[in-house]
Amino acid sequence: MDEKERKSKQEKKGNALKVSRRDFLKGAGATAIASTVSTLSPPLLTDAGAVALPLGVKEAVIQLNVNARPYRLKVKSHWTLLEVLRKKLGLTGTKRSCDRGSCGACTVILEGKAVYACSLLAMEADNKRVTTIEGLVEGEKLHPIQEAFVKYDGFQCGFCTPGIIMSVKALLDKNPHPSSDEMKEALSGNICRCSGYPKILESAMAAAQKG
Amino acid sequence: MNEKFKIIGRRQPKIDAWERVSGKAKFASDIYLPGMLYAKILRSPYPHAKVVNIDVERAKALPGVKAVLTFKEVPSYRWHADMPILTDTARFEGDDIAVVAAVDEERAGEAIDLIKVDYEILPFVLDPEETMKPGAPKIHPQGNIIDGKPLMLKRGDIEKGFKEADLVYENSYRTPQLQHVTSEPRVCVAHWEGGKLTLWDSSQNTFAVQAGLARALKIPMSKVRVICEYMGGGFGDKTSAERYSVLAGLLSRKTGLPVKIEFSREENFLSTHHRWPTVWYLKYGVKKDGTLTSLYAKVIADMGAYAHIAGAGQCLETVKSVYRCPNLQGEGYSVYTNKPEGGAMRCVGHPMPQFAQEVHMDIIAEKLGMDPVDFRLKNYARLEDGDQDRKFPFTSNGMEECIKKGAEAIGWRQRWQKPGSSPGPVKKGLGMAVHACRHGAMAEPSSGMVRINSDGTVNVLTGVADIGGGQKGTMAMIAAEELGFPLEVVSVTSADTEVTTDTGGTAGSRQTITGGTGIRLAAADAKRQILEIAAKELKTDKSNLEIRDGIIYPLGSDKGISLAEVLRKAPASIIGRGIGRVPQGVIFHTFAAHFVEVEVDTRSGKVKVIKLVAAHDLGRAINLMAVENQIEGGAIQGMGFGLMEDQILDKTTGICVNPNLLDYKLFTIKDVPEIHPIIVESIDPYGPFGAKGVGEPPYSVPAPAIANAIYNAIGVRFNELPINNRSILEGLKGLKA
Repeated sequence: MDEKERKSKQEKKGNALKVSRRDFLKGAGATAIASTVSTLSPPLLTDAGAVALPLGVKEAVIQLNVNARPYRLKVKSHWTLLEVLRKKLGLTGTKRSCDRGSCGACTVILEGKAVYACSLLAMEADNKRVTTIEGLVEGEKLHPIQEAFVKYDGFQCGFCTPGIIMSVKALLDKNPHPSSDEMKEALSGNICRCSGYPKILESAMAAAQKG
Repeated sequence: MNEKFKIIGRRQPKIDAWERVSGKAKFASDIYLPGMLYAKILRSPYPHAKVVNIDVERAKALPGVKAVLTFKEVPSYRWHADMPILTDTARFEGDDIAVVAAVDEERAGEAIDLIKVDYEILPFVLDPEETMKPGAPKIHPQGNIIDGKPLMLKRGDIEKGFKEADLVYENSYRTPQLQHVTSEPRVCVAHWEGGKLTLWDSSQNTFAVQAGLARALKIPMSKVRVICEYMGGGFGDKTSAERYSVLAGLLSRKTGLPVKIEFSREENFLSTHHRWPTVWYLKYGVKKDGTLTSLYAKVIADMGAYAHIAGAGQCLETVKSVYRCPNLQGEGYSVYTNKPEGGAMRCVGHPMPQFAQEVHMDIIAEKLGMDPVDFRLKNYARLEDGDQDRKFPFTSNGMEECIKKGAEAIGWRQRWQKPGSSPGPVKKGLGMAVHACRHGAMAEPSSGMVRINSDGTVNVLTGVADIGGGQKGTMAMIAAEELGFPLEVVSVTSADTEVTTDTGGTAGSRQTITGGTGIRLAAADAKRQILEIAAKELKTDKSNLEIRDGIIYPLGSDKGISLAEVLRKAPASIIGRGIGRVPQGVIFHTFAAHFVEVEVDTRSGKVKVIKLVAAHDLGRAINLMAVENQIEGGAIQGMGFGLMEDQILDKTTGICVNPNLLDYKLFTIKDVPEIHPIIVESIDPYGPFGAKGVGEPPYSVPAPAIANAIYNAIGVRFNELPINNRSILEGLKGLKA
């Protein structure tokens, strides 16, 4: 089976992510692994690189459920969830800003809890449910939290915004009617350098009142 | 002027809000191209060192590495003062020595570690006053004082002014080094293809990047396309072509593949522009009745290793323009030290003199026994004062209204008390400061294009980079208002050098007035063309026609014809073009007054800002909601300048000790007080619909207002920023002036 056939076969299996565009299926490992794909599990996304692994780095196949869509992919032991979301799954709404767990731009919801995707290894998310900002939009329709941020101008440059909206969602999922102080607490790990905080709070509280 | 606007002055959600809240907006850091390489820069670990030997062989041999460049392989192009693309002499910790492009970030990083560099460590200097002394380590061959001499300003005779004064007061002040901490660190993707370079850059000024790349790479500007559709904050750090974009271009040309360079947060602290530290000596003379008679200001602007701009001149502007005074002398030294490059940062050059001058004024008011508000009202530069050296009036001036409305909003007259009279361990105080600067002014280039489609919809083409101020939407509102079209039919394409026109970058609070004037004129030009075609079709004169909600009506008639219908009958290409010119013989300024209430816990040293009133004269608000957002955000950053932000270099090693967001403190949502923006509309006669800018001025006012409020609360003066818990506790112990 040559590469072209393999790709088209993968696509026919319903790979919604159009991985062929990013050439994820290139590389030596793909044939062997593709043959193990069962009809129940999603196709495997593998890395393009065929260079030998550095000492101490291991690889493993993990299963992620991102925005209610299942993925199987081979990851290296030191890859963060953030890297995998952005580079492997093409979900660039989750931002890299400090990459050291101190700004919140990469906030996603993991099993119902807001977490920094930069500070979680991809392997730690194996078999877990992840929601990213892309999971909130249905087609063109924004989530009510996003609508509130539009209406009340709850952002400036928008780079920290996906992380902020995910923190708000994680809070509202658990506590639909938080106080202003509870909302501030939930957002205290999200830095907005444009410092549009007053309108962020107004937007978030408006979303809370709606919900 | 017709005050009945359909669109101007609305609370309008941003035009690209959907993209920004949905995560679909593609920032430069979100660009991943097939086959793209990742580049990493090898940075000097020393603040001052000469590379005596560099060996890149092991890096080149690493599988996956596609190119390695050192200072030996790059063009000899220089920026500003002696900044090479890559250097053989490191002049600050983080200076760019070599660059590697590899198939992924990991391998690029690994290759960087494999480059062997032998450094000869040189003596370094960090203190801006030490660097001016004979025998200080020499950072550039031409000496450590930029231009070799100070910049001198002179108006009237300061000695005469001091003789006329009843009180002469002098003091010194210091401000620290700050980082922009843009949410999106510096990042670009360069793609060299078919003799042409396309660059996706996180940039406030794509046209400056285009020109800079063309110069550095010695290629025509027509062969460089720079695009910035979305960017994660600028605050002045991203106003020109920088080394990283040139390196990405060189690497892409060499490898034939797209190349991405994305700074880490630490790199962004070490190797970008910074708000330069300053040292101030102020000596002001004043009469008993509060009239200023003489102003003397000396500033040493610490521009770091490579001056992006000579900062002292920018710093002295504020001393020149806030107050009226016939006698003034300014002396400004811009100096080199072994620190990261000093450059533009929000309200470039102004927050530092603002802090010094407004604390100085507060002290003088107290010595005179005058209310600080009355002292400002007595001395602020009036409409007719304008540029007091060239004798040009201001275009508009809302300072008095800012001061009066702000004072009223905080209850100054009823609540302001004698300093240090607040009881208990947690003391409250009120403080204020004013501000005037040329930011928000009309500048050149100012241009724009408005294209009318055959279905009556509109494409606005503008060079304005929307850095988060909602600039794209502002351009749409201006175009729609001028055309008489509904806002919904207007689309905006921005900051793409291939298809838009130069408006000089989103810096200096200028785009509402500079980009906006270009677009207003372009829309007027398009409207003229529309009316000419319609007049012919309707067999009337164009002066008998008007456009309302996109429908063309004979004056006074309710029966109109849509533009689409006119164009169906008389097909035509309608392209409006606008070029703005800066009016001569007048000077633009924006004005502001801030009032704050603070609470100081004398046990912990913690300062809590309870309320901030920010009154701003911005000519006219185009988008009221975006204006409030700018005022609030700018004021919060300005509070950080007053209370927290400080990039610290270790004195014994010259190494930055806090290049991260845990140790470099920023305001979070929990630190934000109640903020009350007051919008003063002086209706500028030259700005589009009377507007001036507002992006930067809110930054400059809170720090001195807070310092003055802290004094009012605890009776201790601070002449150095930031005023953190430690400063307060030391000040209370009498350890500080």
